[in-house]
Amino acid sequence: MRKLFAATLGVLSAVGGFVDIGDLVAASQAGALFGMAHTWVLLAGVVGICAYAEMAGRIAAVSGRAVFDLVRERLGPRVALLNLVASWLVTVVTLAAELGGVALALQLATRVSHLFWVPLAALAVWLVLWRLRFELMERIFGLAGLALLVFAVALVALPTDWPELGQGAWQISAAGHGWPLYWFVAVALFAAAVSPYEVFFFSSGGVEERWSAADLARARSNVLIGFPVGGFLALSLVAVATVAYHPSGVSLSTLDEVARPVATALGGAGLATAVLAFFAVTFGAALETGLSAAYAAAQYFGWQWGKRVRPREAARFHSVLLVGLLLGVVMLMTTVDPVRLTEYMLVLSAVVLPLTYLPILVVANDRGYLGDRVNGRWMNLLGAVFLLLIVAASVAAIPLAIMTGMGP
Amino acid sequence: MRVQLAKRLLDRQIVDVDGRLVGRVDDIAFAVDDEGFPYVDSLLTGQRALGERIGGRVGRLLMAVADRFTDDPPVPPLRVPLSQVAHVDSAVRLRCRAADLPPSPVEAWLRRHLIERIPGSGRASG
Repeated sequence: MRKLFAATLGVLSAVGGFVDIGDLVAASQAGALFGMAHTWVLLAGVVGICAYAEMAGRIAAVSGRAVFDLVRERLGPRVALLNLVASWLVTVVTLAAELGGVALALQLATRVSHLFWVPLAALAVWLVLWRLRFELMERIFGLAGLALLVFAVALVALPTDWPELGQGAWQISAAGHGWPLYWFVAVALFAAAVSPYEVFFFSSGGVEERWSAADLARARSNVLIGFPVGGFLALSLVAVATVAYHPSGVSLSTLDEVARPVATALGGAGLATAVLAFFAVTFGAALETGLSAAYAAAQYFGWQWGKRVRPREAARFHSVLLVGLLLGVVMLMTTVDPVRLTEYMLVLSAVVLPLTYLPILVVANDRGYLGDRVNGRWMNLLGAVFLLLIVAASVAAIPLAIMTGMGP
Repeated sequence: MRVQLAKRLLDRQIVDVDGRLVGRVDDIAFAVDDEGFPYVDSLLTGQRALGERIGGRVGRLLMAVADRFTDDPPVPPLRVPLSQVAHVDSAVRLRCRAADLPPSPVEAWLRRHLIERIPGSGRASG
């Protein structure tokens, strides 16, 4: 339990990548359409994000530099600005979607239209960011997100054919929906698993918590507990949808449908837990994306940032934070579907992924930052393999999006 | 001592003696000594220095945004004399405190007009 407490930064970072509002639906869709055939994508995503979060956490602990510091230092002002603009837009649109997700969870609980909840959700997120201590925030929302384990519990209560489920994970097949759609879903799940805002948030969170070289073990346990937990939660969503909706192939597009098998399996208490979990993970992801967008901008320009200093001494950082939140509310008020919104963003996000991960890999080998704590040979091999995967996903994202008309 | 200026200095974070973030090395200003040798005089930071370095339409846009959020534009870049630099590692560490340097006009403008008006702006959440 104490280990879990010490790893809540990792858990909260992973929540935004693996089980935010877009993934709740995307993972369930993947399960409904293709069964367990995307398991390997989630596993690959977990290993990849673990490798890069470990590097980013180590750099943050030893040198005190967060990820966008490295992006600016290694790519120079022009290319880094391109990355900043793209990452900021992706992150703010994702933030908008998460606010929409919080509102949708409240709508499920209260039957009051989500548009009513959007401004209140944004205000609540801002209040947490303005007032709550970073470590307390990370503990509350990291642990509350674990309520999503109710999906794993539901899997036990459902008439699950475990051998078949396990076999499905080994058989990669398009299940009659066509390979372009299979690969589009794969790229979307992978891009979500390695969302740049996870490493922005994780490394900046390490700096906020004043990690030093003495905290390297803590950084590592955050990575090795947090991200696999995120991956496991996403996999349990896929599995529940597989059992409940595959192979009838019902197309599934709302949170309501995501939660329904849990209600069937565990009754009202299960449904209530699922709705609470939706609230917790989308709220946590809203905190993560809101902060990440402002961290990236402040680090690019070198402004004072963070929750450690008084807001009046980080006025530009807090202004950017406010602008992001307000933009999110405005976007949602156009009544755009928050779930659709994240799907578009994942494609844009996939395209600029290498611009975030390459600088991390380069600096993780720089003795000027890390002294003798630079990457070993195996870490570099792993990093290079994943960089190739990331580049492949980034190249494939747009053609696949066009071929499939943006997915299911 | 031969220092690769662009690699060691440009785009690094500038940190004051207390760990406050002052800005990034957006540009480097040279001067020429009595014998005609150029030397690094100061580090420049701020959106004007950055905008001029990036150039083109994007650079002008960055400068225009900075000028919009200040009382008397154009905002000059902050000059940090090289004599204030204590050492350079993953960041440029200064000997002085950020408060001893001229404040950023944009930061001051946003503080005065926006952030300071929100209750609780004087307390860190931690």
